[in-house]
Amino acid sequence: MIAEAAQERLAPKTVAQLCEILARCDRERRNVRVEGGKTLSGFGPVLAQADFIVSTTNLHAIITHEYHDLTCSVQSGVRVAQLAAALAKHGQFVPIDVPLSKKATVGGSLASGWPGPRRHLYGRARDFVIGSQVVLADGTLAHAGGMVVKNVSGYDMSKLYIGSFGTLGVFAQLNFKTLPIPRRRRALIAPLPEATRSRAIMQIAALPVIPAAAFCAEGFGKTVDGTDDIDGRVLLYFEGSEELLDRATLEARSALGRAGVPETAIVDTGASESFDRSLNACIANKRGRSITYRSLGLPGTAQERAVLLRDVCNRHELFTDVLFDVMNGDVFVRASERSAERFAAKIALCHAELRALEPRAVIVASDAPIRATFEAWGATPPAIEKMRALKARFDPHGTLNPGRFIGGI
Amino acid sequence: MLAQRLIDALGADAVKTAPEDLAVYAFDAYSEGKLPSAVVLPGSTRDVVAAVKIARDCGEPIVPRGAGTGLCGGAIPANGGVVFSFARMNRVLELDARNRRARVQPGLINLDLSKSVAHAGLFYAPDPSSQKVSTIGGNIGTNAGGPHCLSYGTTVNHVLELEIVDENGDVFTTSVDETGYDLTGVLVGSEGTLAIVCSAWVRLMRTPESVRVWLAAFDDVNAASAAVSGIIGAGIIPTALEMMDRVMLPPIEAAFHAGYPTDAAAVLLIENAGFEDEMNAHESQIRDVMKEQGATTWRAARSQAERDALWAGRKGALGATGRIAPNYYIQDVVVPRTKLPQALQAVEDACRPQGIIAGNVFHAGDGNLHPLLMYDRGDRKQVAAVIEAGNQILGAAVDLGGTISGEHGIGYEKRDTLTRIFSTDDLATMARLRDVFDPKRSLNPEKIFPAGVGCAEVQR
Repeated sequence: MIAEAAQERLAPKTVAQLCEILARCDRERRNVRVEGGKTLSGFGPVLAQADFIVSTTNLHAIITHEYHDLTCSVQSGVRVAQLAAALAKHGQFVPIDVPLSKKATVGGSLASGWPGPRRHLYGRARDFVIGSQVVLADGTLAHAGGMVVKNVSGYDMSKLYIGSFGTLGVFAQLNFKTLPIPRRRRALIAPLPEATRSRAIMQIAALPVIPAAAFCAEGFGKTVDGTDDIDGRVLLYFEGSEELLDRATLEARSALGRAGVPETAIVDTGASESFDRSLNACIANKRGRSITYRSLGLPGTAQERAVLLRDVCNRHELFTDVLFDVMNGDVFVRASERSAERFAAKIALCHAELRALEPRAVIVASDAPIRATFEAWGATPPAIEKMRALKARFDPHGTLNPGRFIGGI
Repeated sequence: MLAQRLIDALGADAVKTAPEDLAVYAFDAYSEGKLPSAVVLPGSTRDVVAAVKIARDCGEPIVPRGAGTGLCGGAIPANGGVVFSFARMNRVLELDARNRRARVQPGLINLDLSKSVAHAGLFYAPDPSSQKVSTIGGNIGTNAGGPHCLSYGTTVNHVLELEIVDENGDVFTTSVDETGYDLTGVLVGSEGTLAIVCSAWVRLMRTPESVRVWLAAFDDVNAASAAVSGIIGAGIIPTALEMMDRVMLPPIEAAFHAGYPTDAAAVLLIENAGFEDEMNAHESQIRDVMKEQGATTWRAARSQAERDALWAGRKGALGATGRIAPNYYIQDVVVPRTKLPQALQAVEDACRPQGIIAGNVFHAGDGNLHPLLMYDRGDRKQVAAVIEAGNQILGAAVDLGGTISGEHGIGYEKRDTLTRIFSTDDLATMARLRDVFDPKRSLNPEKIFPAGVGCAEVQR
């Protein structure tokens, strides 16, 4: 914390200023940490002190919403919830599903490549980006794509910056295609004791009306329905017309019934809050005494991975909270203890064992002192050398977010 | 030397060097390039690696090729070299129905994929009009679209993992769900200039429970354009929303007997796929928009046979132009959908003064125009006029806030026009990506990048 205070924080008000700052830092070989809403600052490694912190939060203009064309263009520091509210005025949305959307910026969310739970239905947030302006390490403002919904003119460079954690360039502006907002939302919440789980998951995956999101949760406090769901809960979240939701409800209830789930509660008012709570749980942190891991993989292996990781934590006598995404296969497991001391005593061995079993598990939430002792990203991908070469070609002096990304990039 | 080494590595049946064989691979659907030095037909990733290394040793460019249906010269050997045809790597390697995905080889024909997974209630969504012939590898190269990408998205939204070989002969895998840069995302649509795709995991979708197709005719093309905006504005994204104009309707009807009115100024073909429960509501909403915009005819296909007939006309439209002129040149530009009337006017303005007949059959819902400029290849003046008009249409699309290619790619044809939408800095940034994958520019040279953009300019 003291180290951070020593860093100079810059929050450019214009894209030109952002270019100027980066160009100058690059020339003078000073490095920069890029920040948006800081909601994912517990994700990834603990960073060494940077010369400057550059925040995009003053770049907060919604430049245009061409609602007849279903496109919009926003500066990167716009908050995700702010964008959602602006688009909703004309009955549209972009599925950017990230935790803490009131605080998270659009640029930061895309830079993190956070895989949203509605992606199996609508596509990834990445698939809605139709154009971007990015400031490269040397201050160059590079445009990619445009304002049309279909475009194969040259490389789609936006893809490279999405999910790059600001290590190749800094988003200044993003253009999206939008979708009409579904008319209604409904959450179905049911208890999901372990004995019924496998069958229930099979049934959910085969539902004719595909849920926009489906989470199984075990623990995570009052995440899913506001009650303490220690024995496990399932949240099915549907979006669509009234007719569709009515059908989805009938089918889902009978499918869960077949799996041995006795009762299913319908939540209409507060359905999206339940969805948001589940998203927020993915990075919910207990100060100084927890780590949350994320394991991405096939939907068909989600439960197996969730059990595997949970059991490791249990073996080390840590408290465990589990949340997994039935439709996409994302698994979140949080290990915690009652006190920081007890946690510190147990976590090192647990972490080592967990990594051995699931080398690609990533630490998505934890306080700095804990993360500092572990490698946060896990195993490097097969094409890591190409990625290092990209970093070297785009940011030869290591100006942008040094050490932020996988493999020390 | 080159030929013998390739034969030693891949076997004689996988290497073509006879001039009459090579000549076939100098072409694609756009134009003719140089005669390649050799054509290889690898049967495996190992073959690809071996051939890449030999080509590299001999200083030969490498040109990966699907079915050659590309319309921008993306598959022509612009500088000769070794053409890699994937005709023998054309299988579905694995179907994983539980996770709705399949691992396929690049030479697999697009439509064959959907056919081979249909028994599992699944299909592969990207459906370029060439889908009976074009390959998944080629589709990945151009990030191919098609009528149904209006709601399903283009190829890039359906590629999950790639196995690639780079210019050095090294094999990599990339995946959208792994931590790291999204190489999969940038490789799709890179037109064979970054790496060669040897296999891909692609996403499959569930066959929709209910599909309806409607036809609406208008006696004014602007009214049809307004109807397109009207549907989208009403909060409905149909699975496909296609337009055909007065020039195209008579030849299509004569060729396919699809039941299109031949006296209309424009016809919209609308498809909606989804759940039976919602269909009636959607149908009446769409019909109301059409009536509001003055549709003169409204028809719903009553059966699968009627649906197929309506689509057959649309998908075969290009072939029907033979009834108007011996040759056609197809443009591919995109504008914001509300700018369709201006864009169609611009097509007219570019063609009429030159005496060129222009027909339009296109993905209206995406704002993706495909003006078809009719001409006779034997008449040099007509050829020059068509090229000029094509250029004007590109310029008009850019002026309307659009782009110069929506789904066909840049290839050889449009590389010098890329500067109309991108600055030198933007292109130099793209070149940085290429530097990492193909520093020597040996993969599909002379494509995408304007002829003037060399390494010196790029390495600032």
